[in-house]
Amino acid sequence: MAAVTEDRRGGLGWVERGLFTALPTLALGLVVWKLALLELPLSVSWSWVPALGIDLAFRVDGLSALMLLMITGVGTAVFVYAGGYLAGHPGLRRLYVLLSLFMLAMIGCVTADHLVVLFMFWEATSVLSFLLVGFDHERTDSRKSAQQALMITGTGGLALLGGFIMLGQASGTYVISEIVDVLPSLAATPELTAALVLILIGAFTKSAQFPFHFWLPNAMAAPTPVSAYLHSATMVKLGVYLLARLDPGFGEWPLWEWGLKGAGSITAAWGMVLALRERDLKRILAWSTVATLGTLVTLVGLRGEGATVAVGTLLLAHALYKAPLFFVAGNIDHGTGTRVIDHLGNLRHAMPWTAAAALLAGASMAGMPLSFGYVVKDVILEAKSAGDVFAFAKAANTVFGAVAVAVAGVAAVRVFWRHPGVNETCEAHEGGPALVAPPLLLALAGITLGTFPFFAQELIAGATGAMTPDAEAVAFSLALEFGPALLSLLATFAVGVVVYLLWDPLHARFERAARRVGRIGMAAQFERALSWIPRSAAASTRALQTGRLPAYVALAAGTIVIALAAALVADWPSLYWPSADGWPGGGPVGACALIVFGAVAAVLQRDRLVLLLAAGLVGYGSGLLFLFTGAPDVAYTQFTVETVFVIVVASVLLALNRQHRAAGLAEPLWRPGAFMLAVGFGAAVTALLLVATAGSFDTALSQFFAERSVPDAYGRNVVNVILVDFRALDTLGEITVVLLSLIAAVPLLQALRPARDKGDGA
Amino acid sequence: MTAVLAATIFATVTAGVYLAMSRDVFRCVIGLALLGAAANLVLFAAGRLVSPLPAVVPVGEILLTDAANPLPQALVLTAIVIGFALVCYSLVLLLRLMRDARTDDALALRYAEPRPDDPVKPPASAADCDVAWPPEDRA
Amino acid sequence: MRSRVIILEAAAGPLYLLILAASVWVLLRGHNEPGGGFIGGLIAVSASILWAVARGSDAARQRLPLRDPLILGATGVLLAALSGVPALLLGDAYLTHLWATLPLGFTDLKVSTVLLFDLGVYLCVWGALAGYALALLAVDDEAAASGGER
Repeated sequence: MAAVTEDRRGGLGWVERGLFTALPTLALGLVVWKLALLELPLSVSWSWVPALGIDLAFRVDGLSALMLLMITGVGTAVFVYAGGYLAGHPGLRRLYVLLSLFMLAMIGCVTADHLVVLFMFWEATSVLSFLLVGFDHERTDSRKSAQQALMITGTGGLALLGGFIMLGQASGTYVISEIVDVLPSLAATPELTAALVLILIGAFTKSAQFPFHFWLPNAMAAPTPVSAYLHSATMVKLGVYLLARLDPGFGEWPLWEWGLKGAGSITAAWGMVLALRERDLKRILAWSTVATLGTLVTLVGLRGEGATVAVGTLLLAHALYKAPLFFVAGNIDHGTGTRVIDHLGNLRHAMPWTAAAALLAGASMAGMPLSFGYVVKDVILEAKSAGDVFAFAKAANTVFGAVAVAVAGVAAVRVFWRHPGVNETCEAHEGGPALVAPPLLLALAGITLGTFPFFAQELIAGATGAMTPDAEAVAFSLALEFGPALLSLLATFAVGVVVYLLWDPLHARFERAARRVGRIGMAAQFERALSWIPRSAAASTRALQTGRLPAYVALAAGTIVIALAAALVADWPSLYWPSADGWPGGGPVGACALIVFGAVAAVLQRDRLVLLLAAGLVGYGSGLLFLFTGAPDVAYTQFTVETVFVIVVASVLLALNRQHRAAGLAEPLWRPGAFMLAVGFGAAVTALLLVATAGSFDTALSQFFAERSVPDAYGRNVVNVILVDFRALDTLGEITVVLLSLIAAVPLLQALRPARDKGDGA
Repeated sequence: MTAVLAATIFATVTAGVYLAMSRDVFRCVIGLALLGAAANLVLFAAGRLVSPLPAVVPVGEILLTDAANPLPQALVLTAIVIGFALVCYSLVLLLRLMRDARTDDALALRYAEPRPDDPVKPPASAADCDVAWPPEDRA
Repeated sequence: MRSRVIILEAAAGPLYLLILAASVWVLLRGHNEPGGGFIGGLIAVSASILWAVARGSDAARQRLPLRDPLILGATGVLLAALSGVPALLLGDAYLTHLWATLPLGFTDLKVSTVLLFDLGVYLCVWGALAGYALALLAVDDEAAASGGER
């Protein structure tokens, strides 16, 4: 119904919009249908990489079902809304494709039952989030925000991978449901502790927990449907989901409990404070989302069933009121062209439907009776009174609630009913049904669940069962009670109204304080750390890439020397050194003397022709040595190659001589630094050889060749049989390399040729 | 024998690396050739020198007994040919270098290096700026 | 322009054939005695170098089979690669060599895919290394050609 409104203005036709929108709708229908029919938990598994023990394992339990409902339900609203919000936008198809992929990744994430599979989908959501936040890729701040989000969640993803691998190794399985069962019986080894810390980092980055909280408000550069979907209802909840998923396993660890409580509380407090600082409606909502995520993480960290129930209800309630509020912010942006609350007021006449949706969602956020938010307040209150929370947390709870009331007031009341200061948005207009229906429906769903909480009872019970170690039925009831919650609510509400009324003076005060904090805040530290990357890259490049060829050779040689020496020194006591063996005959010694003479002469000679002949001596000496040590094939090859080498290079030198370039460069023959390095290199290689030859020798291969050469390959020359038969594939590769090198040299050679023509012409 | 061979390899490797660090590109190429020869010797020595008899089965017999180890020989044989191709390729590069850059001094090759006024990656020290830019002798 | 050595030029013709014959002999005996495709190919390269020294590297290039070192080398690699294909057709692993004995009456001729492979090695080494050597020798020819005028 929504797709019909603003079609044919460019972008996508209504058919395509309808088809895209059908995706999440079908998924939602499927989830509801299956949940109604099937008994949870439900698992399927396909073998994927058997060698590594990786299976495509999926498992749907109560928690997954809750997440699935949110992903597909809010997804449907978002898809409808996106069609109206970006009607006529040339990038709408791209947005739809990315959103669809994102939804698939999310579904994979919350159903995966294998750590590696979960990680794969987790990374997919990070990458897709990068693309979605950077949707307006022509804007610099949009690109920057996308980059920041990707760097933080991507780095967290790396930590998560490390944590997963350590966790899998420590617990002996990568299947999440098994790990959760095994974990409580494991001792707290350093590996497990490291795994825990890494997983916490991964989850905290994803869910924007302190100190990684700052990327989420910046990600508001994304179009509103993306913000509503990724940054309120689904992706940022992944961290919470993962924590809740592992909570039955890690729950008894003090580090886990206090890590969650600490980070969650700080995030909640900080998020609320920073919400007061903002003037942009979307950013205000984003900070309150950060605060809610903090509350969720704290609740996961709290012990007791009540807290678990609270996690489930708050997850659902938040999706049902924050997504509509984002839609409302988007509608205001769409209808007036601004989101800055200073310029907004009295919009109820121009945008009545949006105002209604805002009021309903705001009521839920403020926790008014008859809204699902009220049920949440009730449950949280119970959880916190049951858990051993310090008084501070209880007081803080009231304050957080009050700020939530104030934020709801700003988003739902202030911009629609009041007229603070100048209202520059007289041309405000309501969007089409595609913009109005999604927030209204979601907000209405929240109110419905608030009035009749037992509708959600089974869903929350399932989720709670999945998050509780014993997985027994949890005794609780979601009901509309007007007990202590109402009293507490009244207090919270009163404070909230005060905060709401004092919004502008509070804002001014906080702005001043926050500006001072901003310089040392996490976002600033992050920027500073980032700026070090190019600076250190430039410094190391300047240090390493001097542009001097000898320095490069020295660097490479020095690295090899250090690596070899380190290995030799580390194993020094356990090394075998060769014992003195018999004195060889005169022939091999003479050949060796020839090689040494050639090598020394090569170093000492400046004249290039003599240098070449000295190098030739090394080659002929090697050939002689091969001849004396039972390798005639090698010896003949060496002789022939050396002859060809000397003739060819001599001819090149002759050519250079005609250009008066045959004499060597006038550089000092004695370079102490280079000499030391060369001696070190030679010593390292020699030591390596001595150690290698002193060890026992495995003759199995040589024995095989010696025995099978005649019977199997009908050849008496074992060397040749190895080359052309036993290891023929090697040889084929080697002659291919020789040919390829010539092919690579041909263009270089051809470029040498035209120069002659020029020379002839000159 | 091992000691003699080790000393030989030491001399060859040292000479090869020393030449490769020269600023004269021709000496670099010769250093490369020496290193190749040394590598062949290392490979050969690692297979042990057990016998001076070639690894050829005598006529009429089936088993090869008391002969040199054939496997390193096969490896060294192909290594020699590939090493020669490598040296030839370096020579071709050298000739191109001499023709295009008109120098065989490795320290004078700074065409690909940053200019003295490069904003992103300036040379490390003023000494690197001593080469005129752009090189006026480039054809 | 090029300094000519009459004796060398005259001797080059028969010597070229003689060295090539020697290289083929080394290639053929390689399976049972020291020798083989690599050494044979290198000896053939020295024959080409002899021709280049006597008559110039362009002439030596023309004297190569197929008249182009690159094509000669490529033919060698192709031959070596193809020698493994019959084994594939018989269901063996690639490059498993096959042998057959042809009775010729006076003697039995052993033929095998090994010989084909070794011939491929021979041609590749000849083509590739002669390609390098002739190109590098040509530099001197050109320097001699242009150097006279400088």
